[in-house]
Amino acid sequence: MTARLVFDVAAGLAILFAAVMVVHRHPVKSVLALVVSFFALSVAYVMLSAPLIAALQVIVYAGAILVLFLFVLMLLNVPEEVRQKSGRPIHHTLSALAIVVFAAVLLGALRAHGATNAAPSTSPLTGEVAPVARLLFSEHLLSFEALSILLLAALVGAFALARREGRT
Amino acid sequence: MSLADVGFVLLRVLGPVLVILLILPIPMWVERRGAALIQDRPGPNRVGPFGLLQPLADAVKFFMKEDIVPANADRFLYVIAPGIAVFSAMTTFAVIPYGATATIAGREVPLIGADVSIGILYLFALTSLSVYGIVLAGWSSNNKFSLIGGIRSSAQIISYELAMTTAAAGVILVAGSFRLTDVVAMQSGTWFGFLPRWNVFPQFLGFVVFYVATFAETNRVPFDLPEAEAELVGGYHTEYSSMKFAMFFMAEYINMIVASALTVTLFFGGWTLPGFHPEGLGGVLLSVVIFAAKTAFFVWVFIWVRWTLPRFRYDQLMRLGWKALLPLALVNLLSTAALVVWGVL
Repeated sequence: MTARLVFDVAAGLAILFAAVMVVHRHPVKSVLALVVSFFALSVAYVMLSAPLIAALQVIVYAGAILVLFLFVLMLLNVPEEVRQKSGRPIHHTLSALAIVVFAAVLLGALRAHGATNAAPSTSPLTGEVAPVARLLFSEHLLSFEALSILLLAALVGAFALARREGRT
Repeated sequence: MSLADVGFVLLRVLGPVLVILLILPIPMWVERRGAALIQDRPGPNRVGPFGLLQPLADAVKFFMKEDIVPANADRFLYVIAPGIAVFSAMTTFAVIPYGATATIAGREVPLIGADVSIGILYLFALTSLSVYGIVLAGWSSNNKFSLIGGIRSSAQIISYELAMTTAAAGVILVAGSFRLTDVVAMQSGTWFGFLPRWNVFPQFLGFVVFYVATFAETNRVPFDLPEAEAELVGGYHTEYSSMKFAMFFMAEYINMIVASALTVTLFFGGWTLPGFHPEGLGGVLLSVVIFAAKTAFFVWVFIWVRWTLPRFRYDQLMRLGWKALLPLALVNLLSTAALVVWGVL
């Protein structure tokens, strides 16, 4: 019962702060809202008995990637966005249409896959370190290694691009 | 769950936090007296015997000072930044086992806040969050020195976190578990009858890298560039005064204690000692004392290093982190993996 309550609160906070992230005009505040959202997500993962994913969520996303975002925003000193009003009614119509379509797709997907159930009943051990590691290094070994090579290629690519720019 | 169970859990979780807060004046006093000892001067000796009440006098002074918020500061972030720093420092202690399992009133009470399966990952997660306290303090102050301090801190902590986690991975590899109680249990006993089974002996390189990286993670000299007073006034806490400044000060000392406790847990056998088998309540208390003594030694090393070594330059700091510590940590990880595969460890 308490577990369910904690999950609901965490999930609610995650959604709320994700919305704040989109709506807020200040880029730094947006990043911070995303940090809170990720933290709440990680609490939700713990309640779904996946502590490893929860820890990785905080270490990788909140602790490393978003710190880098913040780093860049602070270095560039990005000011608060000025909200622009476009005078053309077509913009409003199109964006309203996009929102409606997206909401319809989302609702349809939720209906079809029965998201009304409570948190999926996982056996208490599936999210622990050892089972995840075993799956990662047996069944999904190929995709795991392919992903790491992809990341390495992206890294080398970024480095090459940065170098070329530096020389000119 | 009965009321007594709740009581025991509260005791386990809050006990170490309260104890750390209570003993916090001691490392502060040791820092000032130790600095004086190393610099061959008396140090604070007016307030109480040996100046022991100096931290108390400092605390009163902090409380009495005016609490200033700069005119163009981002008020909300400016106020919560020191809170984040103290919060992330205090919650890290929860997964460190600080003593043997006690049996109180027929109940087994393991002396650890929460014995979770992701123990060390939880610790790294919270340390990586500690950077937000510093970065937000630097940014929200609306001061160039503060901002540079915050930016330096984020780059520094991310760089040294890699070396630190890679060094700790060697220990995890041998223990086969992220659970810190397993890490401690595996280090009990001896090799060849006299050498304690501490990780520091087979993984000396890992220990050196880890310990050096904790200096950077706690912003202590020689890596205290986020607050380098010679170039940045006070770095990220330039604009802070009164208790808000004191909170950053507290966070630094708590981080030092936690980093020392973690070093002891990972590389020096935690509360164990060869030939020591805790029996009864006295034995359990002795195990806590052993843990505290080992931790106190490393806190002293933090202070010793601070008053002995000069500060690094920023490019030197980055070079050391990426070109020396990280490769050394990888060497340690590979050699440990080889030893594990060959069945030596």
